[in-house]
Amino acid sequence: MTVNYNEILSALIDGELQGQELEQALHLLHTNENARQQWQRYQLASDVLHGHELAQQSYDLTEKISFSINDEPSYSVTKNNVISLPQQFWKKSINFAIAASVGALAVVGVMSQSENNLIADNVQLAVSENVEPLARAQTTGKRWTVGEKEVEQRLNTYLVDHNEYTGASGVFSYARVVSYDMGQ
Amino acid sequence: MSVDLELVQRVQAGDKKAFDVLIMKYQQRIVHVITGFVHDPVEALDVAQEAFIKAYRAIPNFRGDSAFYTWLYRIAVNTSKNHLTARARRPPAMDVDAMDATNYYDAPELKEFETPETKLVSDELQRVIHQAIESLPEDTATAIKLRELDGMSYEEIADVMGCPIGTVRSRIFRAREAIDIQVQATMNEGEQQ
Repeated sequence: MTVNYNEILSALIDGELQGQELEQALHLLHTNENARQQWQRYQLASDVLHGHELAQQSYDLTEKISFSINDEPSYSVTKNNVISLPQQFWKKSINFAIAASVGALAVVGVMSQSENNLIADNVQLAVSENVEPLARAQTTGKRWTVGEKEVEQRLNTYLVDHNEYTGASGVFSYARVVSYDMGQ
Repeated sequence: MSVDLELVQRVQAGDKKAFDVLIMKYQQRIVHVITGFVHDPVEALDVAQEAFIKAYRAIPNFRGDSAFYTWLYRIAVNTSKNHLTARARRPPAMDVDAMDATNYYDAPELKEFETPETKLVSDELQRVIHQAIESLPEDTATAIKLRELDGMSYEEIADVMGCPIGTVRSRIFRAREAIDIQVQATMNEGEQQ
């Protein structure tokens, strides 16, 4: 074994290896008994320096445990399932931002609804007896029916477009339930 | 990404050998933690083995919310406590039952439990390692101290010492080589006695 290999093992103790060198180090530990012992002594010295007391002088559980888990299944969890701490931070931040936005929209919505009510209470509509409606709407049960098919079709198209638009553009779902049913 | 997390991900992707490296890395510390609960050294090794197997079985659920060692430490403590509970149901072979174990868990004296022999070995290794560091050239000694005692990364050490990261890495390696010679000598002496 060359000195460079030991240097890689030393860097592995410090968690400073990546890519090809990490592969090399792991390969060494799995194939070279000397490298394995060397690395364990580096680790021992590091543990002692960090103030970790030793339980017993010399033992290696690796082989026994490896043998025991030989019968255990190998896993196939994808890398994405392990969430690193920075990712967690961003995930939480995004969730918080969404929650805050929904809250703000709810407040604005309630305020504007109150304003609309005020306007509705105070405004008087102008009425003219001579005006001919473009299309007559009648109520049957709880639903409006429009006399002219063409107008009803156009209304339906508007509603479908609106629903599709709200779904695609990120507008919140409370606005998606739109119809001209009575009482809504 | 930390090497531990990289190794965990490899295990999660089906590489059982990556788990060996985690065992090699943490077995000393884990056995020491378990010895705090299970005073019998042979029994402690069995419990450590059980704890690592439990960790392997649970590793698909490890999501990196905490450091791998913290997660492993909790498994080791729980395994030790379960072991003591199971022992308490049988004719007592030791003087610590499950309730005591729970109380001991928060007690530093249990965590720091050690036999006179292990205390002697630890103290001797501490002395030898510090002596080895003091006999190193100044830049090499500084590099290993900043790494091991101050916990700095190679990049931070390079900033502090005003040298490339590659130089830091080789200085730390040289320090470890020097320490290792002394550690080996001490261990050989211990085995001969």
